[in-house]
Amino acid sequence: MTPMLTMVIDDSRAMRLILKRIVAQLGFDVVEAGNGKEAMDYLEGALERGEGELPGLALVDWNMPEMNGLEFVTAVRAEPRLRNMTLMMVTTESEQSQIVRALAAGAHEYVIKPFTPDAIIDKLHLLGLVPNGVAA
Amino acid sequence: MTANPTEDDLRVIAEQVWSSYLDTDGSSPLLPVPPENGQIDVTASVSVTGAWRGHVLVSCSDAASRNAAAALLGIELDEVTDDDVADALGELANIIGGNVKSLLPEPCALSLPHVHVEGSSGRYPAATEVATLNGTWLDESVTVSVLESTADFAGVSTS
Repeated sequence: MTPMLTMVIDDSRAMRLILKRIVAQLGFDVVEAGNGKEAMDYLEGALERGEGELPGLALVDWNMPEMNGLEFVTAVRAEPRLRNMTLMMVTTESEQSQIVRALAAGAHEYVIKPFTPDAIIDKLHLLGLVPNGVAA
Repeated sequence: MTANPTEDDLRVIAEQVWSSYLDTDGSSPLLPVPPENGQIDVTASVSVTGAWRGHVLVSCSDAASRNAAAALLGIELDEVTDDDVADALGELANIIGGNVKSLLPEPCALSLPHVHVEGSSGRYPAATEVATLNGTWLDESVTVSVLESTADFAGVSTS
């Protein structure tokens, strides 16, 4: 199985590292971005270079400078060439109304901080991105 | 009248944060202690605006801030830089603040975190403390506070 390229988007370096450890342990390759704009810049570059470099999964924080996570999800969903990218919000925004907003904008799953590694892996199971039986 | 977050709310949130990131093996929890004048060197804060207005603060000693950065970033204590401390404490304030926000009336918005390397007193003159969790972690002071704004929308104090 080819390792899935995963984009971890969070303005906190510590949080990017925590998420990177979890998905790297699953065998995923990781690229990091500090906010939605950095992530979109990377994706636009990848689109120019060819779809082989596109991430299949993005773990997206909500509250970030320049372009927040909701804006990023909306921008990705507006780009047909990124339609296969799975988007998972990983955020402190825990109100039901915010979850509904993110899912309506095009996020596939939602994890609330603080989280355990198992919480992330369980969602990846649900999305069919990790085989059953894999645990933290 | 809005019900403000309580010390118990802060304790539950802090326990979740510690068990997820700072005390994953259960050997070094945040231990609640009576109010005291513990050493405060670093404060990270997020502001809440909207239907409720105020601030959520995470304050601690320099040693505690460096322990937190080392734990979150998975590095040795002697490798921790000031940037690491700002990143780690800011993220802790963001997570705790976001969970506090979920207890408040909607709609509210959370600011990006701000970290300053000094005590918190005097920085929020138009706000009053409504809940505080005093604790020690690895024998160092850690305090989580919720301050409610006492200023109206024109910035005039109403108390």
